[in-house]
Amino acid sequence: MANTPHYAMVIDLNTCVGCNACMAACAMENQTPVWKNQWRTYVHDMEIGKEGGEVRRRFLPRLCNHCDNPPCMSVCPTGATHKLDNGIVLVDDSLCMGCRACAMACPYDARLDMTNDDLEQGKGFYGELLHREHPSVDKCSFCAHRVMKGLKPACVETCVGFSRQFGDLNDPNDPVAKIVESGVAKPLMAHLGTRPNVYYISDLERAT
Amino acid sequence: MKNVVYRELEGNSLGFYGLLGISAILVALGLFAAYNMEHHGHAISGMTNQIVWGMPHIFAIFLILAASGVLNVASIGSVFRKTFYSPLGRLSALLAITLLVGGLSILVLDLGRPDRLLVAMTTYNFKSIFAWNIYLYNGFLVIVAVYLWFMMEQRMQRYYPVAGLVAFIWRLILTTGTGSIFGFLVAREAYDTAIMAPLFIALSLSLGLATFILILLIDCTETHCPLGEGILHRPKKLLGIFVAAAFYFVLAYHLTNLYITERHGIEYFILVGGGIYTLLFWGGYLLAGTLLPLILIYHPQLNQCRKNITLAALLVLIGGFSLLYVIIIGGQAYPLDIFPGMEVTASGFFDNSPVHLYIPSHWEIMLGIGGIAISILLTTLALKILPFYRPV
Repeated sequence: MANTPHYAMVIDLNTCVGCNACMAACAMENQTPVWKNQWRTYVHDMEIGKEGGEVRRRFLPRLCNHCDNPPCMSVCPTGATHKLDNGIVLVDDSLCMGCRACAMACPYDARLDMTNDDLEQGKGFYGELLHREHPSVDKCSFCAHRVMKGLKPACVETCVGFSRQFGDLNDPNDPVAKIVESGVAKPLMAHLGTRPNVYYISDLERAT
Repeated sequence: MKNVVYRELEGNSLGFYGLLGISAILVALGLFAAYNMEHHGHAISGMTNQIVWGMPHIFAIFLILAASGVLNVASIGSVFRKTFYSPLGRLSALLAITLLVGGLSILVLDLGRPDRLLVAMTTYNFKSIFAWNIYLYNGFLVIVAVYLWFMMEQRMQRYYPVAGLVAFIWRLILTTGTGSIFGFLVAREAYDTAIMAPLFIALSLSLGLATFILILLIDCTETHCPLGEGILHRPKKLLGIFVAAAFYFVLAYHLTNLYITERHGIEYFILVGGGIYTLLFWGGYLLAGTLLPLILIYHPQLNQCRKNITLAALLVLIGGFSLLYVIIIGGQAYPLDIFPGMEVTASGFFDNSPVHLYIPSHWEIMLGIGGIAISILLTTLALKILPFYRPV
């Protein structure tokens, strides 16, 4: 399996400028129901710190963490949520029956509802370019269709501050693998044992 | 059992047709709500990406638990050989089927894509407790249907205890599966604990028996049959034990969480500062659904009155519904701790909210009541068609 890539994303919070270009690129690439403010990736605009102490405004891009041990895949009754050998977790919308067990199980709030109504609205919004056919409980795919062509995910491609990097953890020369190996980038909620593949280079200080 | 008489409901009264008519209207309203939520998505409901499961799931799980528990009476007769309960076994098994069908109907109609039900029946991920539950629910329907047939068919009477034993074991597994839906969810602090399974089993026993007592009373009021005091007073004591057992597991669940420091937040939220969830826990579940029924059941002056037994059974149902609301909605309303050790003082997204808001929409309530109406409709029709025990 050494030749099989293991894709991961590193997001440097020091260089994210909160421009939301990643959200726009993702929405256009994956035709998500933006009219109801649901996105595969979302940039949170937050102030973090202790009240009365030092509080910093920072941006936190969020998306599916493509966990090695994805709880959304375990609970999916039909197997619609599945994992590729390269680590990307996908939803087969022909198998998804919309029970939302995945949304319940996901600790990262990474799921969104793509409904029949959204498909109808999508026809007006995306016009003849609309390629989504089935409703499903949707999520980020790491733009698997682009990655298979050797391209980067749309959000990485468009990132203004080069905050997002995408690479192969199995390639020791890949910059992403080096960053993860160095330990400077950490995943969210690692204590749950989900082994996420989205890492953050933090600019946060632990509150005292 | 020489004097036991089984016969169909006459079903000529205004009450009978009124019940059928009202149930049919409620079922139609439930289907209309399901159509709207299926087409427009859950955006029209109170459910969100944070409160993923809402009011329909409470109704559904309530009915599923009651379906498992209502089989108590049949099990006591066939598994524990208490012949006093045997004549009531048929009604008990019938209710187990109709309540489960009502509960499953809600779940199916709440699916984002009910047209994909066939996929759920043919494609399985065996790591998923939901996939297992599909087997458990369908298996339960088949087993109880066979059990009921053995009870009704003279030639099959000798197999009836075996069928009863299989049904008894199956329903314990079924309720374990339902509780484990929450027990296996690591993402939410309110869940992720093995005690969910026994808690749901105990809750199903109390909800099921309370449902049975109420339906027996309604059935006999409609048919003007004389209901012996024994037929109510024996199950009432059992109901008290089941209510106490459910309380024991709820107590153990909260005490365990209080012992785990990282869960103090969710415990404070449910027990002290959670608004509607705190109110429903203390007022709905503990006071109305546990303490009052126990007083009504065990107080020597109060427990002789039929109205008090009826009230106790009704309160147990209200308490069970309240507890499910607290577990299902409260567990989701408490936000995930994305940044352990940090405090998010402001955010442009839902992280900012200390609690995820949930206001059930009329669509969800219509769907839930529609599920109950399906159970009532099926039960009423079955009582009209098939022979069930009538005290004479």
